[in-house]
Amino acid sequence: MNAIILTAIWGVVMMFSGVFVKSKSVPKYLAILGIAIAFIANGIELNSGNSWFTINVHGMLATNSFNLTFIAIALGSTLIYFLLSAADVERTGKHVGEYFALIFFVLCGVSLCATYKTLLMLFIGIEIMSIPLYILTGSDKRNLRSNEAALKYFLMGCFSTGIMLMGIAFIYGGTPNASFFIDNIQAGTGKMPVMIAIGMLLLMVSMSFKVSAAPFHFWTPDVYDGAPTVFTSFMSTIVKVAGFFAFVRLFESAFGTMHLQWQKLIIIITIATLLIGNVTAVFQQSVKRMLAYSSIAQAGFMLLALFALNDKAREGLLLYSAGYSLATVGIFAVLIKMEDYTIDGFKGLAKQQPVLALTATVFLLSLTGIPLTIGFQSKFYMLMAAVENGSNFWVVIVAVLFAAISAYYYFRVIQAMYFKEPTQETLLVSNISTPFKIMLVIVAVLIIAFGIYPEFIIGWKYH
Amino acid sequence: MSITTLAFILLSVMAVTCAIMMITSKSPVNSILWLILVFFAISGHYVLLNAQFLAIVNIIVYAGAIMVLFLFVVMLMNLNADTEPVKNYRLQLIGVISGGSLLLVLLSAIMKVKEQHPVQMNIGDAGLVKSLGMTLFKDYVLPFEISSVLFLSAMIGAVIIGKKEN
Repeated sequence: MNAIILTAIWGVVMMFSGVFVKSKSVPKYLAILGIAIAFIANGIELNSGNSWFTINVHGMLATNSFNLTFIAIALGSTLIYFLLSAADVERTGKHVGEYFALIFFVLCGVSLCATYKTLLMLFIGIEIMSIPLYILTGSDKRNLRSNEAALKYFLMGCFSTGIMLMGIAFIYGGTPNASFFIDNIQAGTGKMPVMIAIGMLLLMVSMSFKVSAAPFHFWTPDVYDGAPTVFTSFMSTIVKVAGFFAFVRLFESAFGTMHLQWQKLIIIITIATLLIGNVTAVFQQSVKRMLAYSSIAQAGFMLLALFALNDKAREGLLLYSAGYSLATVGIFAVLIKMEDYTIDGFKGLAKQQPVLALTATVFLLSLTGIPLTIGFQSKFYMLMAAVENGSNFWVVIVAVLFAAISAYYYFRVIQAMYFKEPTQETLLVSNISTPFKIMLVIVAVLIIAFGIYPEFIIGWKYH
Repeated sequence: MSITTLAFILLSVMAVTCAIMMITSKSPVNSILWLILVFFAISGHYVLLNAQFLAIVNIIVYAGAIMVLFLFVVMLMNLNADTEPVKNYRLQLIGVISGGSLLLVLLSAIMKVKEQHPVQMNIGDAGLVKSLGMTLFKDYVLPFEISSVLFLSAMIGAVIIGKKEN
């Protein structure tokens, strides 16, 4: 509860910061302060189990150590994101306070998506997450591609919301006593009632859209590529893993007993996502677009949690959220500073900016899943969960094969940084400050530390 | 046949006919006008189901506000036959197949429902304004309050997008 209320309040604070303070850098520090407060407050709630606010929620929200850990990961990643890229948010446009306000509202939606107990709260959470993102995507108003991306995202997002509402309506009508509560939907292990089955299908489609799983991924490359890079970083990490968390929680609590009936659909979506994400990423010349496809590919791996749906999968989901968010926020922070977003632009970066090149290498290795990084641990837990699931072992083999393919396009950037000469003798990067470098090193160290000791994150789940 | 059943059949025929006319009419403005009639027919169904509040809201919000918005947009866009984009035959086919299969699935679900009460006059008070208000501000006060965050972010977005930048 702490996180939901504090982020919503701080969103309003950020909104007014633009009115009362003329200085352009004040919102940045206010935002960092706010996210730090929310992170600490959530940590206290996770540690003690008690919220500062006692609100009668009528059972519509429920906090436990699992979802509080997830909120902690989301808020922590946002804190790191702010520390790395808040200065670049300022450069996007004039309404700095409002951008931060929208990000805080998104975090409120993320917290709702983590703690919801009814389909109604899920819907509100998903919407609070989506609508600010449509605006952030189009915040670079003079850029035609940003406008196009925002309109595309908005229209497609509206359709998926409509599909989701229709699914919720069917489930509401299909439950014996017409209930929104996800725990009441369970209809035993028998054959799924038709109304519930249709509702589940529609929900699966719309949630797959939100997490950009194939074949509902078509918006992702255009939107991630068109949006201002600093906001792409936010929406491809924290928001995406929150979507996954909501997806997994929904299908676990609402349709968990009927797992075997829809597992085949998830297998199809998983394999298609892995295939399309990885294979298309190989052909990209722009690193930003490559990262968009790689985020689809990573979504394929996260879908293994839905495929397995056991205790290991839940641990893997937490690790994956942390690992993927940290590494992607880091690599995007480096990418924002680049003058040229193509792979050619990375040529010879190691000579000009050794720290940037080294940390970017750590992030890319983590995304690939090389041992000693958290990326390896999260992939390992996901695969272990899929193996423990018992059936359909071939899915694990396919996932490993695609992880090997992903090494190609991640390593191509590393190769360009270390083993290629720059095409022209100009500076490859701009606006690099020493605190930024220190922050990058801290993130890289965190990635390696969690990679060696993943129990630190998982342990909180059993706190 | 009671008067309510007769009203139900009349409203249903009206809804379906208007919906078909909406899809088939050539001019987009006519389409919207037909759609407004569909909404009125559906509001009539709500009244038959003893849900007055829903009926009124449906007319105010959908037939009133949203349809006027639609009309404005269509008129501003100045849609003519020559500005129409070239229709892709393959896309149309794909649309028909996917939409048709969704319709099939939905129909099969609706056919399975055993209890059918198309008309429920004077049964229960779930749809009345009073009971709706009690539920909204007691049991559902949390989602009601939290949706304010949603509207706030939408408002901020409208200001950011709409404000002129120099």
